[in-house]
Amino acid sequence: MIVGEQKKIAEIKELVEPYRKILILGCGTCVKTCFAGGEDEVSTVASALRLALSIEGKEIAVEELTVERQCEDEFIQEAAEAIARSEVVLSIACGAGVQDIAKSFPKVPVLPGVNTTFIGILEKHGLFTEECLGCCDCKLALFGSVCPIARCSKKLLNGPCGGSKDGTCEVDPAIDCAWQLIIDRLKELGQLHTLKSYVEPKDWRRSNAGGPRKLVRQDHII
Amino acid sequence: MNKQFKLKITVFHCINTFSDAGNVQRGGDETTEINFIALPCSSMVKDVFLLRAFEAGADAVIVMVCPEGACRYVEGNLRAKRRVMWVQNVLDDIGLGGRRLTLFNVAPGDEKAIVKIIEETRADVAALGPSPAHYVARLA
Repeated sequence: MIVGEQKKIAEIKELVEPYRKILILGCGTCVKTCFAGGEDEVSTVASALRLALSIEGKEIAVEELTVERQCEDEFIQEAAEAIARSEVVLSIACGAGVQDIAKSFPKVPVLPGVNTTFIGILEKHGLFTEECLGCCDCKLALFGSVCPIARCSKKLLNGPCGGSKDGTCEVDPAIDCAWQLIIDRLKELGQLHTLKSYVEPKDWRRSNAGGPRKLVRQDHII
Repeated sequence: MNKQFKLKITVFHCINTFSDAGNVQRGGDETTEINFIALPCSSMVKDVFLLRAFEAGADAVIVMVCPEGACRYVEGNLRAKRRVMWVQNVLDDIGLGGRRLTLFNVAPGDEKAIVKIIEETRADVAALGPSPAHYVARLA
């Protein structure tokens, strides 16, 4: 899922300050799961904003709404009436959601309430970890399904680097050494020999380094 | 503090800390209004409930939870504690002050402790003054 964290209320307050009628729009998928942009967070941000502005003697009309996904037009349209009633939308979805709302409603300013962080997993309740960079050339099969691109601090395809200590990374001991994880996993699978093969340098043009990407599925386009 | 203000304190509490504390002054007195909100477990107190208590005019909010290790639902009181810490940060962030929100572990039926907590909070809030969030509204 896309993991994000809510911006500080003080920053959000600054963003919405010029407006008096605001729609706080949540997203019920990824950012809900990471406690950044679901129904609960919409209510919390709304309440905190009203309080913050009331301290300054200002009033703001806040409407609250959460759609299933802000990255699909079908769901976005459910917010059309609420958006029409508002001067501005504070989207607490990921960056994709914010931009899709902006595309759909070109005359309404759309502001971000969340810092989109990474593609990751819920490792345990309250802990999210980065697992994928979306590089568009998945080599997980070579590495026992542990991604050295996303999880090795040095992004080494032919590791380990030699700086690993007690299974942790020399860059930060709080980071598990991806190469230790790769070796442990391949040992467990009886596939350690796969590491004898040299892995060619990656073609980063397929990743974001080659500019914004598009995925076209002709079989779904009419 | 300015004498024209009547302090307002909202108390969220787990029903296992107390359900009917006879000696606890439920309605407050001429200087303080106290509202008690009973919850089946303190972990039911969401961030937004705490914030909305302040929106509703509370000068201070207290969350009373069972002692650590004594939660009927194992970790409800711990979850409430983390949540309160989170909202304290939000209150600091918006300029209301996290000190206005406090959490206390209370043994079941310990009415003396409850009365003491309320008294101390009353003194603390009297020193802090009324919540700046509704200061303007109160003067109007």
